[in-house]
Amino acid sequence: MYIIIVGAGNVGYGLALELYGNTDYEVLLVERQRQRALLLREELGELVVEGDGTEVTFLERIGARRADLVIAVTGDDAHNLVACQVARHYFGIGRTIARVNNPRNERLFQLLGIEATVSAAAAVLAQIEVDLPEQALIPLVKLRASGLEVVDLHVQEEAAAAGVALRDLELPERTTISLVISGEGANVPDGDTVLRPGDEIIAIIDQQAEPQMRALVSAPLPPGAEPREPAP
Amino acid sequence: MKIVIMGCGRVGSTVATRLDAEGHDVTIVDLETQAFRRLPDSFGGERFAGSGVDDRVLIAAGIREADAFLALTQGDNRNLFAAQLAKHLFRVETVVTRVYDPLRAELFADLGLRTFSPTRISADLAYDSLFEGR
Repeated sequence: MYIIIVGAGNVGYGLALELYGNTDYEVLLVERQRQRALLLREELGELVVEGDGTEVTFLERIGARRADLVIAVTGDDAHNLVACQVARHYFGIGRTIARVNNPRNERLFQLLGIEATVSAAAAVLAQIEVDLPEQALIPLVKLRASGLEVVDLHVQEEAAAAGVALRDLELPERTTISLVISGEGANVPDGDTVLRPGDEIIAIIDQQAEPQMRALVSAPLPPGAEPREPAP
Repeated sequence: MKIVIMGCGRVGSTVATRLDAEGHDVTIVDLETQAFRRLPDSFGGERFAGSGVDDRVLIAAGIREADAFLALTQGDNRNLFAAQLAKHLFRVETVVTRVYDPLRAELFADLGLRTFSPTRISADLAYDSLFEGR
């Protein structure tokens, strides 16, 4: 598989190192700034090439026609967007991944069909949420087309959902409780399943329903406490 | 017509001045306030300092009410990005984009943007001038 990485900043450089040496991948790291390209060339050799990853004639020269994947990870969203659009629409490259530096730009990438966007800010947020064991709701996968997402819920002591049979719970619309993981292992629940504190739930929910789901499985707030602001 | 122009260089300031003189409601956006010195004192439109690739700046410059948007900075990708924000996010009816690279200009024209390439235009002019009157 031939992979072109556009932008040899920290993200692009790290990515190239990660893929380098894996014989399944042929990697080319493209850097626009001469000094940076020369510096990395000393370390990585032929893997690095100086050029503009949004320019058709340059891309033609590095064999973009036979590329399977373009990953645009510069610090400039305009550059990343155009690199992916040129890759897709001029060279017919089926897969493109763009780094979105400003989360507010994610919507435009989506509108233009650049599906795989990795927002650094969102990735860091997700990492922080995974690392915090007391989190009641951890988003796992967003399903873009439907507006649904897969989440990991942790039923806390005295939560509204604890001790209640699923059929008696008032769940937000479009909620599917897929799996309940307790001390006895993972089980597909039915209406009679009663949730217990400590249970872990894998559910598919509406992305808008995060606050309601979080409230259902969270311990009640101490009197006077402010509810936690949802992550953006 | 309400028109937002990004980039107050020679081309941006010239077209802004002309549209303003014709009575259009013009707002011109540029990162550098110094660039506005290119506008004549008679310019009656609005000058707005900020980056046109930032949707908040475009909103503040009135993109939501604009009938047309012209992307005229020096950067092809900046122009293409802002133009697509205007067209796809803010649904501006007429969006014009300057793209120096002729191949990129053609590609994005195929993708539905109204683009022009000063490189292509100048090259054609130079060629035609060469053979003029022969």
